[in-house]
Amino acid sequence: MINPSAEPVLSLVGVDKRFPGVHALKNVSIEIGRGEVVGLIGENGAGKSTLMKILSGVYQPDSGEIRIAGKPTKLVSAADANTKGIGMVFQEQSLLTNLTVGENIYLGNEAQFSRYGVIDWRALYSAAARQLEKVEVNVDPRCRADDLSFAARQMVELAKALTLEEHAAGHLVVLLDEPTSVLERAEIKVLFARVRSLKSRASFIFVSHRLDEVLELSDRIYVMKDGAVVADLKAADANVTKLHQVMVGRSLQAEYYREPLQKPFRKEVVLEAEGLTLGHAYQDVGFKLHAGEILGIAGVIGSGREELARTLSGFIPHVSGHLLIGGRDVRLTSPAEAVDLGIGYIPRERRVEGLVLFLSVVANITLADLRGLTHYGLIDSRQERKLAANWVERLNIRTPSINTLCLNLSGGNQQKVVLAKWLNAKAKILILDHPTRGLDVGAKEEVYELVRAVTNEGVAVILTSDTLEETIGLSHSLLVMRDGKITHRTEASPGRKPSQIDLIQHMV
Amino acid sequence: MAKTLVTSEAAAPVAGPPIAKARRWRAASWAPVAVLVVLCAIISIINPNFMSFGNAQRIAQAAMIPLVLGIGATFIILMGSIDLSVEGGLTLAAVVLSLLTLNGANSNDFGIFAVLSVLIIGALFGFINGIIHVHFRVPSFMATLGTWFIGVGLANALLGGMAVRINDPGIRGLAIERFLGFPWGAWLALACLAVAFAIQNFTRLGRHIYAVGGGEELAVLSGISVVRVRIIAFTLAGVFYAFGGILAAAQLGLGNAQIGNGRLFTTVTAVVVGGTALSGGQGSVLQTLVGVLIVVVLSNGMVLMGVPPSVQIGVQGLMIIAAVALSIDRKLMRIVK
Amino acid sequence: MQKFVQALDGDKLRQWLPLVTLVLLVTLVGAFQPSFLRLSTLLQLASDTAVLFVLAAGVTFVIMLGGIDLSLQSMASLASVIVALTVARLGYGSFVLALAVGVLAGLASGLAHVLLKIPSFIATLAMSGVLASSALVLSKERSITLGELDRGYQTWITGTLFGLPNVIIIGFIVLVIAHILQSQTRFGRYSAAIGAGEPAAYASGVKVDRQKVYSYILSAGFAALAGVVLAGRLASGSPTLAAEMLLPSIAAVVVGGTAITGGVGSIWRTLIGALIISVVRIGMTFLGVNIFAQNIVFGAVLIAAVAITIDRSKIPIVK
Repeated sequence: MINPSAEPVLSLVGVDKRFPGVHALKNVSIEIGRGEVVGLIGENGAGKSTLMKILSGVYQPDSGEIRIAGKPTKLVSAADANTKGIGMVFQEQSLLTNLTVGENIYLGNEAQFSRYGVIDWRALYSAAARQLEKVEVNVDPRCRADDLSFAARQMVELAKALTLEEHAAGHLVVLLDEPTSVLERAEIKVLFARVRSLKSRASFIFVSHRLDEVLELSDRIYVMKDGAVVADLKAADANVTKLHQVMVGRSLQAEYYREPLQKPFRKEVVLEAEGLTLGHAYQDVGFKLHAGEILGIAGVIGSGREELARTLSGFIPHVSGHLLIGGRDVRLTSPAEAVDLGIGYIPRERRVEGLVLFLSVVANITLADLRGLTHYGLIDSRQERKLAANWVERLNIRTPSINTLCLNLSGGNQQKVVLAKWLNAKAKILILDHPTRGLDVGAKEEVYELVRAVTNEGVAVILTSDTLEETIGLSHSLLVMRDGKITHRTEASPGRKPSQIDLIQHMV
Repeated sequence: MAKTLVTSEAAAPVAGPPIAKARRWRAASWAPVAVLVVLCAIISIINPNFMSFGNAQRIAQAAMIPLVLGIGATFIILMGSIDLSVEGGLTLAAVVLSLLTLNGANSNDFGIFAVLSVLIIGALFGFINGIIHVHFRVPSFMATLGTWFIGVGLANALLGGMAVRINDPGIRGLAIERFLGFPWGAWLALACLAVAFAIQNFTRLGRHIYAVGGGEELAVLSGISVVRVRIIAFTLAGVFYAFGGILAAAQLGLGNAQIGNGRLFTTVTAVVVGGTALSGGQGSVLQTLVGVLIVVVLSNGMVLMGVPPSVQIGVQGLMIIAAVALSIDRKLMRIVK
Repeated sequence: MQKFVQALDGDKLRQWLPLVTLVLLVTLVGAFQPSFLRLSTLLQLASDTAVLFVLAAGVTFVIMLGGIDLSLQSMASLASVIVALTVARLGYGSFVLALAVGVLAGLASGLAHVLLKIPSFIATLAMSGVLASSALVLSKERSITLGELDRGYQTWITGTLFGLPNVIIIGFIVLVIAHILQSQTRFGRYSAAIGAGEPAAYASGVKVDRQKVYSYILSAGFAALAGVVLAGRLASGSPTLAAEMLLPSIAAVVVGGTAITGGVGSIWRTLIGALIISVVRIGMTFLGVNIFAQNIVFGAVLIAAVAITIDRSKIPIVK
């Protein structure tokens, strides 16, 4: 158990980190004690992943200290953090699938088994078998990594992180970054059992969106919000409701989401889904979308809402069921087909999928519909420029000129260009995939206003968002998904918005 | 196919069968072998001479250079890069060898030292490839396209348009003298294969090459110096290209600046047909051996069937398309450039 | 100049580098050998550049999309063989036939690339083999000289108009057509988008596969045209006529400043690049540089050009 007078194994003191346009960590101080499991929770954008990257040596803090066993240290790289006893089990699988389990465990550290560059495989594999025993998983270290299930791979990654204790001077700290998002319930129980049994040799930091799991595994919990640590609770003193309240902070502000502007939607059904199924991702999804309606879909990672959004935008065709757009039964096999049917996709990675950064504002705005500007095969540049200037004004896009490269615009204005593109293409349905990710408060408000304006003109919107609060605040109607199925439907008219607690119980 | 762990809740040692057994070979790696076997069978039926010892010797003679070149290229392709400078390295090596060893143009006669010097030059050539690629951050495609021409250009500059006849019996012997029926050059090529295999499977360098090809970011996070791996791999490839040049000079009996023409195509075809993935991380020099044999057997077979050499190039082209089309894992490649 | 294709990476200076280089080179050579600056020499230079430019212009479209075409010289050679073999029977039709074959070859390469998901350099390398093979077989591995009568059909290539060699005019027409295609058609706009940001182009509804096939058709078509012109200038067709023109063509595109990774570029840049390559080649002869050393210079120039112009901020991992 934790000895309160002992020096914390790892601590951050007053750590600050900024990126262009974002203050990611604000004077953060945390401590990890010997043999503790510390949970770390917070909404998307709260700073959890930045914190983890600093702890694992990938980023360096702008100011503040990292202390290992009380002594200030610098972590210059991931490998450096490793030698100092900090290991990480990544959210996305980080085993090289073309190598064996043993090779993965000792990747980069084969030197201890080799002489003059030649590897003694027997020694390496027997050492690997010993590491695997620590996490009590029965895997032949000679298997290739891609022969294993996700759960088994997660264990191998844990074993890999544990190899550090052979070299590190002090106590080992293992960072677990969303390790359960791809695991089944039974596998999660096993993972937790292993972690508990390893507390004598390592401390853990457990990052997760699933509050119930964090409560189950952790001794203490840090809550982060907007780059700062806002709470340090003992797990025994907390529950899901309390955690959520601390995470979210302020109460729902009706003004923020421009609720007064939310008008009732029209009767016309523009999109209808019936029994839509895509393998493991989602099953039997059915709903109706009306003109002028904002339909929010809530759910955690693995709920299926991400894949559903991609299906509706044309990236992943559904396998069975019906999708009716404007009354026609369709199966979208590419975004081009979706665009032809009047669907526009506003992606979460706007710099990758939303805009061509190295093209100008003009070129991006007109990209989805150049046909209207083409006469005898040639683009009418003058008409194009007028059109673009028009949109820039209507949406209040702040740019030095319409010829500026989108690279040089701020995040909020970039998002407006993406919106302009779809409005220009006369999209009737917009799929908004985390539309305000990475935007500051002011930019977010502008996006909300535009979304309201657009829906009041009759455009229908499907919204998946980072935060439950945003989803509730913006939407007319809500769907909640869990494990691929719709678990709850509700109205969200202004003045009668459901609370987040109402929805969370259907999400986890 | 979700496999679940066979354990109970308590932290007790695990009973039950292992999760996954190590598979020595994967089905996909065997496909090229099957193709080779089928090919040999078909040709033998059409022209039984294919199965004669004399023909086997011809095949060995024809395969030794592509094999050595293919080995070098395999290391590069395993990293996910490409090496277009094969012809440049080979030509330079052949020309320098022809000038240093007993030849008809000058009075040099450095014998074994000529060979060693050429290998060192090959290493340097590869090293420069690596430096340009890594240090100046030029994509391997462009870097090696440039050094291809620099290599051939240097060879040209050294020869001034002439060809130099090689008189050294040792060098010539590589192609002419035989051991157990096969030319010494073929045995040398096999020796290169053995060394390459050892490097690939038994050294840290070999594993790191696979790691860089399979997931470079992860390799970096594991502390692997990708810069070092790249440079060493290119240097190594350069040595193999130099071997190729030595064998080519031996085979032709002279060194000239055209000695490399067309070999890039055969080399890349062989590596790809053998099943090594262009995206990196998958493949092996043994698979390249199979690929080389397929290409050579096909040529040999076409000759036995009376197909003119000018058509063979076209057939090779179609073969490379078929091989790549069949082996590419389409799910992985949304964006193909 | 382009309205929407701006500075390469915010570095305004960099976009003028190729033009400055060209002017410097011409001045340099002229300083050592004043005869280089005579009108007749310069016209000769421009004529020699024409074929190279046509080849390079075609492959520019493919490079802007992020691909590469390694079949250029085989296509051009094949085209010359087709012309040499059929001009007696088909007259001007032989040129059309050669171009048609070019279009078909480009279609095949493009389809192999998008349907079979084969990387462009493999698909075009393989196509190069198929085309080379065809040229060898059709020509029976020899060079075919064109007789007096046949050459009559080629006066549009070999003649002059108001003192200006026709090839220069042909090159100019190609320049104009390529420029319009690239800067004022949907195809050109989509190509730029795909090259600079394929995921965004795809998500915006651009039919990426279709555009890629078009670019390969253009590349092969232009290569065929280059072969036709070359056959005219050399009065013969041969399976190796355009040999050694692959590297200079690609070099012309890259030296001109178009990124090898795609996206940012223009035909004007390719023109300047082609001129630079020509000036370097002919200039070296004027300055008495060993002809055999020229390949070395080329290789070095290519590497230097790429190293300087490449936009590293766009490529996190250089493979």
